[in-house]
Amino acid sequence: MALASVCEETFGSNSSRFSSHPRVDFGVNFTADDPLANSKFTVPAVAEPADFLANIADSETGPKIRFLHGTTTLGFKFEHGVVIAVDSRATAGPYIASQSVKKVIEINPYLLGTMAGGAADCAFWERVLAEQCRIYELRNKERISVAAASKLLANMLYNYKGMGLSVGTMICGWDKRGPGLYYVDSDGNRLTNNIFSVGSGSPYAYGVLDEGYKWELSVEDALDLGQRAIYHATHRDAYSGGVVNLYHMQETGWVKISSTDVKDLHYRYQDEKK
Amino acid sequence: MTEQYSFSLTTFSPSGKLVQIEYALNAVAAGAPSVGIKASNGVVIATEKKHKSVLYEEQSVHKVEGITKNLGMVYSGMGPDYRLMVRQARKLAQNYFLQYQEQIPTSQLVQRVASVMQEYTQKGGVRPFGVSLLVAGWDEDEARPYLFQCDPSGAYFPWKATAMGKNHVSGKTFLEKRYNEDMELEDAVHTAILTLKESFEGQMNEDNIEIGICNETGFRRLAPAEVKDYLASIA
Amino acid sequence: MSIMSYNGSAVVAMIGKDCVGIASDRRFGVQAQTVSMNAQKIFTMGPRLYLGLSGLATDITTVSNRLKFRLNLYTLRENRDVKPETFMSMVSNLLYERRFGPYFIEPVIAGLDPKTYKPFICNLDLIGCPMFTDDFVVAGTCTEQLYGMCESVWVPDLAPDDLFETLSQGLLNAVDRDALAGWGVVVHIIEKDKVTTREVKARMD
Repeated sequence: MALASVCEETFGSNSSRFSSHPRVDFGVNFTADDPLANSKFTVPAVAEPADFLANIADSETGPKIRFLHGTTTLGFKFEHGVVIAVDSRATAGPYIASQSVKKVIEINPYLLGTMAGGAADCAFWERVLAEQCRIYELRNKERISVAAASKLLANMLYNYKGMGLSVGTMICGWDKRGPGLYYVDSDGNRLTNNIFSVGSGSPYAYGVLDEGYKWELSVEDALDLGQRAIYHATHRDAYSGGVVNLYHMQETGWVKISSTDVKDLHYRYQDEKK
Repeated sequence: MTEQYSFSLTTFSPSGKLVQIEYALNAVAAGAPSVGIKASNGVVIATEKKHKSVLYEEQSVHKVEGITKNLGMVYSGMGPDYRLMVRQARKLAQNYFLQYQEQIPTSQLVQRVASVMQEYTQKGGVRPFGVSLLVAGWDEDEARPYLFQCDPSGAYFPWKATAMGKNHVSGKTFLEKRYNEDMELEDAVHTAILTLKESFEGQMNEDNIEIGICNETGFRRLAPAEVKDYLASIA
Repeated sequence: MSIMSYNGSAVVAMIGKDCVGIASDRRFGVQAQTVSMNAQKIFTMGPRLYLGLSGLATDITTVSNRLKFRLNLYTLRENRDVKPETFMSMVSNLLYERRFGPYFIEPVIAGLDPKTYKPFICNLDLIGCPMFTDDFVVAGTCTEQLYGMCESVWVPDLAPDDLFETLSQGLLNAVDRDALAGWGVVVHIIEKDKVTTREVKARMD
């Protein structure tokens, strides 16, 4: 707070529209659960920050804070763990900003998160989640469950509901209950199921997954299914593409299987048809 | 309303002829003679322009008219009808230029002028034109001259050389004898004057004939002084 | 979202030595959804005259058909092949007729003069303002990328084979930075005595 202390008068907490201690303005007190309660995280110091932000965040002329709006990510549980597969394209409007984005966030050796929506939002909040998971581990002398980890994230996101965060993630891991897979988003949803796909290419991925999915899938077939589903999504969805990053969650933690250019996959799958 | 119920005056006779068109051709055949000759490097059109009185001022109204930079016309028959055709032809040529940003080719202009003339043989409430036209043109694209005749019926003919109007039969016979393919424009102008002279009554001078030439530099009507020079070189 | 980028497209034409080239992508999409990968965006308008259309797919179909209609009448009436410059005027007129309710397309014309074989390329905006250059013209949803590629790879007097290489690499790399165009590329190289048409292998995402 060097700047604030130099110009204390102009940055006085009540005279400024942006205060560094926003929590006081919330009706509900989440401070106990909020890892950012003591950080310098600024939120507009108005009665309804969500309404205030809706006006500037949604304007087309406003600064571009959205990135990575199109994407395809998927995860599914099966007998031998969880398969996670994602594309690697980042777009800003129709412009392809990157073809080599890492959309799987390695939270720790036995937890993975996927990235859809705003890149910065996903990366930041899953980093906070990683911190919380480590603290849990130190306090309780055991690893956090996937259910608990995902709930930490869901609660954190709920605190900022309506303020323009854009996160659609799958948290996956392996705990006492076996393979775990949760869908969490910035609206506050937290769901668990065998199959999830998130992003603009998800309808295409679901099509392939539903066609090929069985609980009893072998590891090899499951990984192939995940890769195919992402490939087909990148093929049909303009906002997905690049490479398929493929992960396998095992009892011993996650393993990165491959990173394959969809151009190679396309011509490989074309040849298969012949 | 009147237009809806007006009928064409040009109707078939029992023998299958359109006599109105034949009458129109008679009007042309009775009109002042004009000739056209296509040379290897251009075209010439020429016509007789005789006046009934010495009081007439000869250089204010013309029979040879430019249509575009490289197209020109002359006629035999009725003067007032001709002026309508000139106006239509200029308009058609400019329409073509507006559409394609390119000069109208001679054949295209003739085709369009002819379809106007045809329209006047079939439309209600009108009569056929009392003129035949000679159209001289230079096509930039093909870099060659063209000479067309356009009749009141809407028929048109490409010529190497031809004569229309009074005494056109003897004019054509004369041209058939004199014409050759390698003739150059200068020669063609002489031949055109000689053809007119065949049937010319009285003394020919720069005020009672009109000449237009067309070559790669475009179409233009010869000034009286130039006509005078040509006449002098013949005599 | 602009109606011009509803379906996605990329078209480019370049001049070489005594030859011209025109190329387009093959995608037909509906916003994010890729529907087909063999859309036609380049049309033959004469033995050495090609028309590329970018923009709204339905207007591409309509405009190509209406131009072919007018062109067929022209060739029959005048009994000759149309010059690229003359064809450009026809396109310009057709588009300006819809000045206050335009077709959402941007045409690109590439061809050789039927008599002199002089190379010609041009493009027009959606209401028919023509622009001709002596290097390259672009149109579609990734014009910035295309200009970037063309400015850096094009050089004067390219031989037909080099023109093909320049054109296809230019287009391929441009559409790789555009989410709405790509999914295959077709290239036509127009020379005095032959036209070579090739499909180029591309990324399919």
